[in-house]
Amino acid sequence: MAAVPATRVIRATYFAVFAAFVAFSLSAGPQAQARRVVSIIPATTEMLFAMGAGDRVVAVGSYDRFPPEVEKLPRVGALLDPAVERIIAMRPDLVILYGTQSELRTQLDRAQISYYPYVHRGLADITETIRSLGARVGVAPQANALAERIERQLADIRSRVAKSPRPKTLLVFGREPGTLRNIDASGGLGFLHDMLETAGGADVMGDVKQQSVVMTTELVLARAPEMIIELRYARGDNADDADLREWNALPAVPAVRNRRVYMLHGEEFVVPGPRVAAATERFARLLHPEAFK
Amino acid sequence: MIRESGNLAIGDFFFRRVRRREELDAHVPPLAAGRGPPSFSSDLFLSRCDAPLVTAHASRSALHAADVAFAYDRRGRHVVDGVTLDVPRGAIVGLLGPNGSGKTTLLRLLSGTVTPARGSVTIDAVPISTLSRREMARRIAIVPQETHSAFDFSVLEIVLMGRYPHLRAFELEGADDVAIAREALAATGTAALEPRRFATLSGGEKQRVVIASALAQSSEILLLDEPTASLDLGFQFEIATLLARLNRERGVTMVVSTHDLNLAATLCTELVLLKAGRVLAHGPTERVLNADSVRLLYGVDADVVRHPRAGHLTVVPLARAD
Amino acid sequence: MRRRLIATIALFGALTFVCCLLAPIVGSTPISLSRVFSRTIPFADNVDAQVFFVARLPRVIAAALVGSGLAVAGVVFQALLRNPLASPDTLGVSAGATLGAMIAITFHVDIGLMGITSVPLASFVGSAGALGIVYLLAAARRRGTSSTVLLLAGIALSAFLGALLRLIQLVADFTDTLRNVRWMMGSLDVASYAPIVAALVPMAFAFVVAGALPRVLDLISMGAEAAESRGVDVRRAERIALLSASLSTGAAVSLGGPIPFVGIVVPHIVRLLVGADHRLVLPASALFGASFVIICDLVARTAFGPVELPVGTVTAIIGGPFFLWLLFRRLA
Repeated sequence: MAAVPATRVIRATYFAVFAAFVAFSLSAGPQAQARRVVSIIPATTEMLFAMGAGDRVVAVGSYDRFPPEVEKLPRVGALLDPAVERIIAMRPDLVILYGTQSELRTQLDRAQISYYPYVHRGLADITETIRSLGARVGVAPQANALAERIERQLADIRSRVAKSPRPKTLLVFGREPGTLRNIDASGGLGFLHDMLETAGGADVMGDVKQQSVVMTTELVLARAPEMIIELRYARGDNADDADLREWNALPAVPAVRNRRVYMLHGEEFVVPGPRVAAATERFARLLHPEAFK
Repeated sequence: MIRESGNLAIGDFFFRRVRRREELDAHVPPLAAGRGPPSFSSDLFLSRCDAPLVTAHASRSALHAADVAFAYDRRGRHVVDGVTLDVPRGAIVGLLGPNGSGKTTLLRLLSGTVTPARGSVTIDAVPISTLSRREMARRIAIVPQETHSAFDFSVLEIVLMGRYPHLRAFELEGADDVAIAREALAATGTAALEPRRFATLSGGEKQRVVIASALAQSSEILLLDEPTASLDLGFQFEIATLLARLNRERGVTMVVSTHDLNLAATLCTELVLLKAGRVLAHGPTERVLNADSVRLLYGVDADVVRHPRAGHLTVVPLARAD
Repeated sequence: MRRRLIATIALFGALTFVCCLLAPIVGSTPISLSRVFSRTIPFADNVDAQVFFVARLPRVIAAALVGSGLAVAGVVFQALLRNPLASPDTLGVSAGATLGAMIAITFHVDIGLMGITSVPLASFVGSAGALGIVYLLAAARRRGTSSTVLLLAGIALSAFLGALLRLIQLVADFTDTLRNVRWMMGSLDVASYAPIVAALVPMAFAFVVAGALPRVLDLISMGAEAAESRGVDVRRAERIALLSASLSTGAAVSLGGPIPFVGIVVPHIVRLLVGADHRLVLPASALFGASFVIICDLVARTAFGPVELPVGTVTAIIGGPFFLWLLFRRLA
């Protein structure tokens, strides 16, 4: 056979590749777009709204609070008590659920409804989830833009605090009211820890590879944090700084002695979603106010 | 007369008895007439009795129930329906009757465990409603049909519980209490069982220990609820002999509720026949225990004859009466 | 008998004393006693002193209170119900305390009273409520009925309260459920003396009341009729026993959570050591219970540093094999 001209080969290859690409994206077919999405996870609900897919959300979970539009949507349960029948009755083409909800998955398989399993991990996984969720739902460009925005914000924060010394910080997200009992602090795993580290703090419990640690008063004294941040995120929690008085029982802790015990309010601290950058910035402003003048 | 023990301790609180003992010594009641010398010293027992002075012209009636009635369920049938009963001092009174005739309830009424809906019970002519539980316990002791211990008490501990009515609130048992307990064990032939755990004893041994515990209460009156019900023939004979001896040598007045007609014939000086909560007949055993009364009570034709060698009446059931 | 009583109390008292003395000194953070009691370093700067006086000492005292309270309640309930398997949980008082605590945690109740915070307060109120119900049931019984009625009433109440508990857990969000579960595992890290003083009041009352009981417990454990015939006012004795044991349980559970195993096994271990006479068992159990929980708490906070085990896990792990060992020794 005669030699085929090179240009023809190249054009053919390009055409083949292009065709394969189109075929591939077309064959991804019904999975590339989702028009009716049920999200029972607060983080993914926020992500969907932030990437402009809020109009596709038809039902949300019991604990979803942000953005305000979700208050109008029907609620279908959460991690422990998903309302399977209601979910199916919504006729969704995508259900976002927790990776551990195996029973719900079985039910959805039986009803032939696709689902997206969500796993709650560290800070970096948030933007990864945004991207993959965006692709799954069919708003990849907006999702990618959102992810990039978040990453840029985080990088900005990192660079601002890079030069400052990192105070040993205890991040408390729960405690029995009125006492120092049953203190729940962030451990060395999870997005709270990552946020703290990004914001320029040194997690005083960072060596404990758990997402949450029960702190005893002895442990607080032993670890001697230079700064204590308490997070309050419950609805209707009117705790104010007066509640920080209880820490005065431990005056030997540097944070207490130097009055560096703070309280931050907001749900964005406990939802690993798109507001994570804003939350991290709040941490950073507290830890390193001079970097944000 | 009573050996002071090594209990010389803290204060008069534990020794207020010394004076009382001396007072009581002067009023020790005479022993009931007995055959042969007593096999142990009963001074200790009786001197601890808080019973009132017994003099020659005191009432002969130790225990008296006057027209008592009782129902467990306020609207229900009266389990005991108008019973009048007299227990003379030093007697052994047998309570006979079919199941459900009210024997156990009557015993409870006599001991003050339950209060009659009607009528009254008196002990030495004193109504028991005026006596405190402790005083009652010092005068009347009960031997229940069965005793179950939830915990692993020793035999001595079980018998020492009988001393409770004689001790003050926080008073611990003294050496004389222990001596009384040991005497009671000796009296019931169970002295050798003292260090053992109550739960490990056989039925007969348990019953004897429980009788010893009742004896340790140093009471004048003993109420026994079917004392030989779950015992084999050997133990039945032993218990009967024991009770007869206690009555003879110490003058303990007894009321024995039983199904065992032959036991009643042997042991009891008088009988009270109960049916449906009412007294059918009462009187000396010889007079009351006959074929007619057996038929009336149990619906059984029986032969009631004096046994030539045993020397007492025996009851032999023959056929169901129609 | 008196010699045995004195010897028993002296022995167990010495054990408890040693535990109370040593426990605050031992821990996962090394401290030096000279620094703790140093007069030159102001308290606010003295880490060692704060570890000793704020972190550990209240804990040891709370452990002692909870241990003796639950043990005494266990002894009294076992005698009252004539059942060696009874425990402070049997009649539902513990469940009532748990329900109170759970309501406070789940609904974010934030009412304090005289320095007592909401969760222990609600817990105590819950136990008092359960006690009230059981008390009414006990008072309604006629003289001479068996303890079976009380037992069944207690079981029914426990079941009902357990159902309410599960209902509340459904309503709770995930974090609160976690806190509920954590509370149920028991925690002695009280961090201040206020809850101790608060628990001390009902517990002291309960102990004083129970102090009149020991001989009576012996007698009623043989049966109500047997006790009556020996001169015991059984109805009154049962009510006093119920009141003291329930108050003690309520105070202990509201202070440290429903720490399992203490109330049922400490009395048994003590009986294996001193016999069945309640005049020995009751004080010995109070003392041994205190030592036991102090030791378990010590193990809980030092075994796996830096994170602690829940004290309830330790009481079960230590108590179980110990009890089995004692039993086998006795049988051999």
